Amino acid sequence: MSAVRRPPVRPSLGLLTLGLVGCGLVALLVVAVRGEPRPQSRSAQVHQIAAQLRCPVCDDLSVADSPAPLAAQMRQQIADDLAAGRTPDQIRQRFVAAYGDSVLLTPPHHGVGQVAYLLPALVLGVGVVCAVLLLRGWLRAAGPGGRGAEADGRRGEPGEPGGHGAQEGEGGQGDDGGEPARGAAVQGSPRLSAADRRSLQRALARLREEEQ
Amino acid sequence: MSTARRRALLLGCVVAAVAVVAALLASGLRHDPSDTASPLVGRPAPQFRLDGLDGPPVALSDLRGKVAVINFWASWCAECHTEQPALNATWDRFRGSGVVVLGIDFEDNEADARHYVAGEGSDYPVVVDPQSRTALAFGVRGVPETFVVDQQGRIVERVIGAVDEDRLTATISRLLREDTR
Repeated sequence: MSAVRRPPVRPSLGLLTLGLVGCGLVALLVVAVRGEPRPQSRSAQVHQIAAQLRCPVCDDLSVADSPAPLAAQMRQQIADDLAAGRTPDQIRQRFVAAYGDSVLLTPPHHGVGQVAYLLPALVLGVGVVCAVLLLRGWLRAAGPGGRGAEADGRRGEPGEPGGHGAQEGEGGQGDDGGEPARGAAVQGSPRLSAADRRSLQRALARLREEEQ
Repeated sequence: MSTARRRALLLGCVVAAVAVVAALLASGLRHDPSDTASPLVGRPAPQFRLDGLDGPPVALSDLRGKVAVINFWASWCAECHTEQPALNATWDRFRGSGVVVLGIDFEDNEADARHYVAGEGSDYPVVVDPQSRTALAFGVRGVPETFVVDQQGRIVERVIGAVDEDRLTATISRLLREDTR
């Protein structure tokens, strides 16, 4: 048997993925903890609340941006409510009570609106799972007896037992780009797992070596 | 699980997720955000006390025990002219039966409003709504908009656009019938 050369390990991409996911989580955490920045002046407070409300008589304009008289009245009411000591949440709820959730430019935290908040977390979770699966695949391929080692074995010296080229080279690599070549002995055994197939191939190679 | 099967499963998940998001976006694009049922229907009408255009002030509490047809209108509103005969007819028909028609002038100037009222021959109470506070409390999106309030002060119907006399008559008749039971 020739010395098995380890293929170049590619943990950098996996680490990069995990790093990006980690950064995303930290950013989400920071935003969640800090919340929206508090404006200083009264007019800035009015603008911040008005920017979160849809002008009822406009096409997709916020109350802050709309030149409509009704939007101006809404801004005035927000200012008066703030002066009366109402909180931004109470003010928003007053408009929701009259106009419904559609007056909010951001989706509500209940009903179908929850999808907008849950979906990013769901996508993040799926991303993490995919990253972990990919990383596991790479590490397995890089490990001893892994796909990389076998591929390396196939590229061994001519006539060496480990070099399957003579017997199994016709099949080459599988369609999925990573499976070892399926020899005649493996074909017709669809219930074998990839690892079992590899063990079988190694055992067959040893047998042939002993016969020689 | 083989790699091919795992990849097929992953691809299926991605396609399903994209399909769900695309369906949500498509439904959102087709939906008119202003076309929503009023959350106030079935709830108590917002309290108000407004000065009359030419008459005495009117408060919601004054209308307790009566069916109130509260109509937001403006002199510059073309559709308000269209519905005016229906409102006048409703007032003429039900004014002695415990029904009040109340006009609330919306984002208008008083001279134009007086001219409009005189021109349309309306003699039901009309009040003005400075700064549109009452309109905002009722969730008004434009004029004309009409709310039918029952004898207990609860909003039972909201009509966006010109009212239909037959529909208004049917609602009022039902409320009067229910009240006599």
